[in-house]
Amino acid sequence: MEDFEARLNVTYGGANGDLPDPIPFDTADTVVRRTVEEAIRSGSIPGIGADPNVSLGDYVVDRFGPNEVRDFHLLQLRPKTPFG
Amino acid sequence: MTIEVGVLVDLDFEPIYWHQPEGSDTAALPDSRVLWEVIWQCRDRVLGFAHSHPGRGEPGPSHEDLTTFAAIESALGKRLVWWITSEDVSVELGWMGPSRLDYRKGLALYEPEWMTKLRDLSR
Repeated sequence: MEDFEARLNVTYGGANGDLPDPIPFDTADTVVRRTVEEAIRSGSIPGIGADPNVSLGDYVVDRFGPNEVRDFHLLQLRPKTPFG
Repeated sequence: MTIEVGVLVDLDFEPIYWHQPEGSDTAALPDSRVLWEVIWQCRDRVLGFAHSHPGRGEPGPSHEDLTTFAAIESALGKRLVWWITSEDVSVELGWMGPSRLDYRKGLALYEPEWMTKLRDLSR
């Protein structure tokens, strides 16, 4: 993985998985969601079943830089949790 | 109610986690990665989530509430029970379908201690 790239992790359908290929860390949120939607539709995320009806418009992207236990950038896609 | 508060409830109908994040106000609970991490860690024993709304009378879910319900359930791969309480009335909601945001609302006939505490924390 290059310094400008990140691992992309998603939680969906009761499972958690990483996209097989890294993406640029500064990828826009909308592109991140679209990329993961396509991956879930095709069933190409190990550990996450295919879902042709996946919709991630209400998911948010958390971004993490390298740290002492992980020497790479990480993007995590998870559901939003605001109420009101 | 002076501030919105939430509580995660387990299958034994007991509170797991009280959600009182910074940034809460009378109209909203902000997005919280911490809340999601707790929900995910407790996913095998979570029954649902309750939060407070300002004012009195029968509360109803906002569009923000409904889209959050749907998003969390899609990530968990299972349906939850969602409670909303005002100062004097509580309701519970569950997905009925067929569309993504079709949640049915009913009055919560049983009010556990955590619902009373939820209202107290919201004042």
